[in-house]
Amino acid sequence: MKLTFKPSPNYRNEKSTTGIMKDLGLCLCAVLLYAVIYYCAAFGAQYGLRVILLACDAVVAALATDAVFYKFAKSKDIMKDLKSSYSIITALILVLISRIDTSYFAMAVCTIMAVYFGKLVFGGFGQNIFNPAAFGAALIMGNFAASYNVDFATGATPTQAASSIGWMIPSGNFASFISQYGGLGRMFLGQYPSTIGSTCALLILCCGAFLIWQRDIDWQTPVFYICTVFVEALCIGLMHGAGIEYALFNVLAGGVLFGGVFMATDPVTTPVTIPGRILWAIGAASLTLIIRLKANFADGVLFAILLMNMLTPAIDKLFDGNQIKDAAKFRRNVLIGGAAFAALTLLVGTSVKPKGETAAAPASSGVPAASGEAAAPAGGDVNFGEALPMTYNFNANKASCVIDGEENNTVRYACEAKGFGLVTNADGDYEMNQAMVVVDKSTGKIKSISMINFGDTAGVGDMATSDEALAQFEGKGLEDEVNLVTGATFTTRSVASMAQAALNAAQED
Amino acid sequence: MFQERKGKEHMSILTGPMRFHLDGHKELTAHKDVLVLEEPDDLYIPLVNGRAACSPLVKEGDEVKVGQRIGEPTDGFWYVPIFSPVSGTVVGIEKRMTAALKPGDHIHIRNDHKHSATRAFREFDYETATREEILDFVKSAGMAGLGGAGFPTFNKYTKPEGIELFIINAVECEPYLTADYANSMANPELMRDGALALLKLSTAPKGLIAVKEDKKDLIEVLHKQFDGTPIEVAEVPDIYPAGWERTLIYMLTGKRYDRLPAEAGCILNNVSTCIALGNAMKNGMPITAKYLTVSGDGVKEPQNVIVPVGTPASEVIRQCGGYVGEDCLLIAGGPMMGRTIPNDQFVIGIANNGLTVLQHREPFSVKCLRCGKCTETCPSGLVPVRINACEKIKDIDSLKKLSVMDCIECGLCTYICPSKLDVTEGVRRAKRYMALVK
Ligand code: SF4
Ligand code: SF4
Repeated sequence: MKLTFKPSPNYRNEKSTTGIMKDLGLCLCAVLLYAVIYYCAAFGAQYGLRVILLACDAVVAALATDAVFYKFAKSKDIMKDLKSSYSIITALILVLISRIDTSYFAMAVCTIMAVYFGKLVFGGFGQNIFNPAAFGAALIMGNFAASYNVDFATGATPTQAASSIGWMIPSGNFASFISQYGGLGRMFLGQYPSTIGSTCALLILCCGAFLIWQRDIDWQTPVFYICTVFVEALCIGLMHGAGIEYALFNVLAGGVLFGGVFMATDPVTTPVTIPGRILWAIGAASLTLIIRLKANFADGVLFAILLMNMLTPAIDKLFDGNQIKDAAKFRRNVLIGGAAFAALTLLVGTSVKPKGETAAAPASSGVPAASGEAAAPAGGDVNFGEALPMTYNFNANKASCVIDGEENNTVRYACEAKGFGLVTNADGDYEMNQAMVVVDKSTGKIKSISMINFGDTAGVGDMATSDEALAQFEGKGLEDEVNLVTGATFTTRSVASMAQAALNAAQED
Repeated sequence: MFQERKGKEHMSILTGPMRFHLDGHKELTAHKDVLVLEEPDDLYIPLVNGRAACSPLVKEGDEVKVGQRIGEPTDGFWYVPIFSPVSGTVVGIEKRMTAALKPGDHIHIRNDHKHSATRAFREFDYETATREEILDFVKSAGMAGLGGAGFPTFNKYTKPEGIELFIINAVECEPYLTADYANSMANPELMRDGALALLKLSTAPKGLIAVKEDKKDLIEVLHKQFDGTPIEVAEVPDIYPAGWERTLIYMLTGKRYDRLPAEAGCILNNVSTCIALGNAMKNGMPITAKYLTVSGDGVKEPQNVIVPVGTPASEVIRQCGGYVGEDCLLIAGGPMMGRTIPNDQFVIGIANNGLTVLQHREPFSVKCLRCGKCTETCPSGLVPVRINACEKIKDIDSLKKLSVMDCIECGLCTYICPSKLDVTEGVRRAKRYMALVK
């Protein structure tokens, strides 16, 4: 029998950090499972399988990184270090903020970067400054040649589409913009393509409620984050004549809910006091909107979180004190800080112009136009934008062609390809786009293209099939490039994919 | 007034709850019969009660009786005289390890088991006595804060000014401890007399006796005793640290104060002090024995015991069936604020109310998650995680802002920490460091 000395108290709560991480992991798995089911149902079993494989890929990469690092760091107790590194969470979050067309290779590299540079170099769990998953994603995604595997493209996500028109959607066109994703209701249930984890808003909210109930996360961060996005987006929307749907869209699209529940609440990289967290959340929400409105990224959530991570130590210092005695000061700090963030956001909000307000906004990215006058009629003014090389990878369009007729060196191909509707919306009632492509075999150039059947709903992407737009293909070969038609980029690609298919076929003959 | 407050208890969204419901494990001992411990043959009465030192009034070979005054305080402020708990012979003044783990002087008495007693005080009627007479009685009867601190009771009442509320603390929020509860259940009349005497002493027009809402049987007893007196029964939620002065006063009145409860117009005393005073007034006996909770998973038969002051802890544990397990933590008091003492030779003093014995298991601790749970629960409103971080890098400026000295060492931050760190100990280090650099 021995009596040991331990400083008081000698009584501990059941709740452990490992328990918190288990709950988090459980919720992340639930979100992942929903994604598997959604992708299976909407796009086919191989998509669902891909979600699972991506998750395994990331988890293995994360654990391996930990193991190798601790091995080289001459850890005394590798098992303990592995158990208290919680890298699986990082890996799962990373998968859920990636798109389904992310390549396995990119996923693995990204996870390794996230775990190593995002966490281990800072000294491991608890010491890192940046949210490791956001850090890894920002470091790698998009800047990496092999990032995407186009075989699994699901088309433009709402955030990409919104970003292509500057996140400013005039109210008249909003309904049609949103209808391509099945409306806000369907976005709420998450049956639209996006990042893997941002699919089901309802499920994410349930996870949030569960985690708050279990006291795994505090309620202030997600609530203030999501509400601030909503309120600020509402104000900005009102300034530009958009209604409440615009604010709802901002909350539902992209990573706001996922980020708010799973990333903004990462305790390690956010302040340790409640007033600090509230201020942090307001700041992150404001930056999310500012980045959406001003920067050319698909979504602002990740960068907003990373930027606020940098401010965490300063916010902590701001709220050093006694919460009872300094209550008035803390309240003032929150109010002033929050007001400053909000004012900045609104200022940015006033300065943005909807990119398509004067031109044909709703036709951007081939948005179905409910208000007819806004869609440029075929043959109207066509603005050419970004260059599109004819060697571009058009796999998503699944273009195919057969020889329709041949005369000397001139071959006529009947081609078909998926248009905007089919690429973005697996089960929509769209038809294939069909075109007749005439190729001069001796030169390997296109002589002419004419549309046979326009599969997307009338009015969609019309500009890309206007005579003027089709004329740009004349005389072009595989080594040339054409230009995307502003406001109808998807349809341009669809047409170009058919042209490419025809050129390829001509070469093989 | 109290009932109105209760609903509004939850405060601003900018703070956490600043408290927590702990699993009290009180069922281990609360409803078991109280064991009257067999008196040991040798008792050692410490000559120091907390900070109140005494010089002995007896010498080797003297015969003493139960209740005989054997130590006279050396300090007028820390004034707590010492009385013999048993009858027998004085063996001498001996050095022995105290609960503070330092050697201290003890009067060694060999028990003759005859229980021959002497009446220490004349009968005292607080209803007819003047305030000054009550104050004198409280002082000479050796009443001290029996909640653990051992602060001489009379000191609180020397100059009461603007006191509006007298509060009796029957909350007993430490986990495991049920000694106050058992004592109150057994001696309700003594409690009532002591409480009314202190109410008179406090000059407050009314009083409250605060008790946890889950102790239904005690609440019933209290209503029987106090209904019709100016003292009301106030039920408080089962949270920790409901029994701490500041939290209790805030829950009862909605007031916060800076240094002393008197600033909020309150005077507090522990319920066992009331009972001891009632006993002294009615039976003329000082505190010679204590209700003591012996509990935890490290002792064979957890129960409440009545033990003479001066009994070694080893003897108490032995009579409760001994230790369970190979490696135990022996804690004087409850596990939250009580100290572990790696030696069971220390004796039970008048301020002891429990021995908690827990089997020692090292928790699986990981790095600080920065979850802020310690911040949300700290009843003093501190940010323990920042205090710990700043203490490590000796960031004096930040430590000053973090008002480390407001920590009451309640232990909640360590309790709540999911990473199982010794957060409270870090705050203590910061306090010691700040005391040094000041
Ligand atoms: S021990 Fe001190 S710092 Fe920790 S919770 Fe209690 S008062 Fe706060
Ligand atoms: S409770 Fe523990 S893990 Fe959480 S912030 Fe405080 S010290 Fe860190």
